[in-house]
Amino acid sequence: MKSSVGSIARRNQFSGLWFVFPSAVLMLALITYPLMFGGYISLFDTNLINRWDFVGLKYYAQALTDASFRRDIGTTFLYTFLVVAGNFIIGMALALLLNRNIRGRWLFRSILLLPWLIPDVVIALLWKWLFNPMYGLVNHYLTVFGFISQPLDVLGSPDTAMAGIVIASIWKGFPFVMVLLLAGLQSIPKELYEAAEIDGGNALQRFRHVTLPGIMPVLIVALILDTVWFFKHYTVVWLMTSGGPINATNVISISIYQTAFADFQFGRAAAMAVIVFVICYVIGFVYRRLTPAYEN
Amino acid sequence: MMNIMRVKSMKVVLTVVLAVTLLLSACGGQANDSGNTLGSSGNSPQGSDNERVKLTILSTAQTQNPESGVEKEFAQAFMDIHPHVEIEFISVPTNDAYAKIITMATSKQLPDIFVNTAEFYTQAYEMGITADLRELFDESFVNGFHPLALEQTEIDGQMVFMPNFTIPMGLLYRADWFEEEGIAPPETWDEFMDAARRLTKDTNGDGIIDRWGFGMVGTKNSSGGSRYVPMMRTFGVKELYQDENGNWETEFDSPESIAFLKLFTDLVFEGLVPPGPLQTGYAEAVTMMANEQIAMMITGPHTIGAVLAQNPDLEGKLAGVPIPKQVEHASTLGLLGYSIYKDSPNKEIAAEYLKFTMEKENAIRWTQVTGRLPSRIEPLQDPAINNDMLSGFVKAMDYAYQIPNVPYYAKVYDYVGEAYQSVILGHETVEEAAARAANSIREEIDRNR
Repeated sequence: MKSSVGSIARRNQFSGLWFVFPSAVLMLALITYPLMFGGYISLFDTNLINRWDFVGLKYYAQALTDASFRRDIGTTFLYTFLVVAGNFIIGMALALLLNRNIRGRWLFRSILLLPWLIPDVVIALLWKWLFNPMYGLVNHYLTVFGFISQPLDVLGSPDTAMAGIVIASIWKGFPFVMVLLLAGLQSIPKELYEAAEIDGGNALQRFRHVTLPGIMPVLIVALILDTVWFFKHYTVVWLMTSGGPINATNVISISIYQTAFADFQFGRAAAMAVIVFVICYVIGFVYRRLTPAYEN
Repeated sequence: MMNIMRVKSMKVVLTVVLAVTLLLSACGGQANDSGNTLGSSGNSPQGSDNERVKLTILSTAQTQNPESGVEKEFAQAFMDIHPHVEIEFISVPTNDAYAKIITMATSKQLPDIFVNTAEFYTQAYEMGITADLRELFDESFVNGFHPLALEQTEIDGQMVFMPNFTIPMGLLYRADWFEEEGIAPPETWDEFMDAARRLTKDTNGDGIIDRWGFGMVGTKNSSGGSRYVPMMRTFGVKELYQDENGNWETEFDSPESIAFLKLFTDLVFEGLVPPGPLQTGYAEAVTMMANEQIAMMITGPHTIGAVLAQNPDLEGKLAGVPIPKQVEHASTLGLLGYSIYKDSPNKEIAAEYLKFTMEKENAIRWTQVTGRLPSRIEPLQDPAINNDMLSGFVKAMDYAYQIPNVPYYAKVYDYVGEAYQSVILGHETVEEAAARAANSIREEIDRNR
């Protein structure tokens, strides 16, 4: 009896493995292998074709002691923080609004989703022209309404270039957060809100004690995805400012791309990319650890 | 007990999977020169006139107007002469070309012919992906190229790429405006500044400047750097040079370099350039020229074709001269051409096609449509090319210098760009910016010793 139970259990175990096998192979091929290969490249001074000179951890040491690398990591953290904060504030506000029973809700949902559907390249060029000091609509309307008398070179000044790319990135990114949070909000039972109202809770208290705990799992997922996505973001920043002026918006993904494809230092670029991977992993780990509600 | 066994076997499975992945990574990473008897994209080796041959060409011209049309004309004409040959273009923007070539080279998917430049050819040669064109072209054909152009295509006696055309850096200007103002094309920087001041004006009387003397490409990239450095060289300064011991050095912090950096940034401070110079790239400057907002820009003759494509009314109103000098004129050839993939099975046909594109009539047609000058001597001397519009750029070729052959040269453009942007933004004085850029260049030299 025992042996037949054991063999059934083993068969079930291997059946499960076979079901998972195709996905596991895809993940290995598309995620694990490139990751490991990138780590491998980082140990060599190589042109990827016919020169593979082993240098060990030299490029890691160079990156970590390079002031410009640390500066770019700092710029990336600032950009990520501002964009994610903006995405969540706007995304949450719109999700709460769209969760109400308002007329034409489906129309608003469709329109507000549009920026997410537009390719990054189009968004970058769109906002670059909007901010253009000679032709841009931003300068035009700021002048018409009397806010400025001289054109503002938003993307040409280190003081405002970061704001420019953050605005464009938030415009692109908020729908993703909005949709996730809206899905979370709609899963919270209405009875909880009714009970909170009966208990005398005001809007803020209901948000804090009912809404937030209810959407916490979704919030964490959205936070992790959004943070990692924008930490390694490249397209919008490159097309709008190329990392300038004077490195004011030089996020780490631009540095890695330049190191690989402009300087042809693939090993060094790979080392930088591995460091970024570790940072992203730590960010995800920290988020999960700092949210006990999610763990529970 | 069952659970412990299950956990152990899962661990074993995962360990095996990880080990296999590591092994695959190591094997996949090493060079594999086993060779490829098939051409790229699965072409069969070139055959006789009865067997179809597919020639694949990676081209940046295909993403540009009007270049793409002319290149397709040449391809069609060649196919008409050789009916068994089919030519297929792979389009890639100039800024992505190197990344594309490297990616294709690592997967041994390079086309028969791929674009190459004076900035990339040493990298391509080091990768071992270029055929020696001297083995495919006869000597008389090779000797027909401009000697300076030929010099910049060779490494260790091998011709790494064929220079299809050259875009010598010069000063493009509105000849009609100069004539109206009674100004001669500037020969020196003093004459240039004077012209820029006189041509910056409010043309419609609304009190707002709507025309500027100079269109500055002030971006911090190769577009900006490749314009700044030749201008700086006219002050007798070298951004990189080899001393008598063969060591690389820079003169970026010399008094002459500082003097030029001051002149360059004064163009912004005096209001002689349109607003937003640090965001003005090549494409934006071309649009300004086409929209009749700027009188001059430092560029190659290819800009003429791009400007006329946007504003055909400017036909006959544009002209070029060498970059103004302080000590001497200077220019870069801006060579762009094609290499043949070392492992291509269609090398002979590829070479024939490249030679066909260089025939005199084709070279003249190419220049007339695109403004890019031929790199061969015979068409350069033809009156169809050596005309009022282009003669200044032809003359600029005589002042061309070889771009220093170092793998970190793109970084030099970055440091140069940081310097002028920093001064324009008021973050540093010219002396501080020049000193910082020079230090950065020296650190880069040390890193690459």
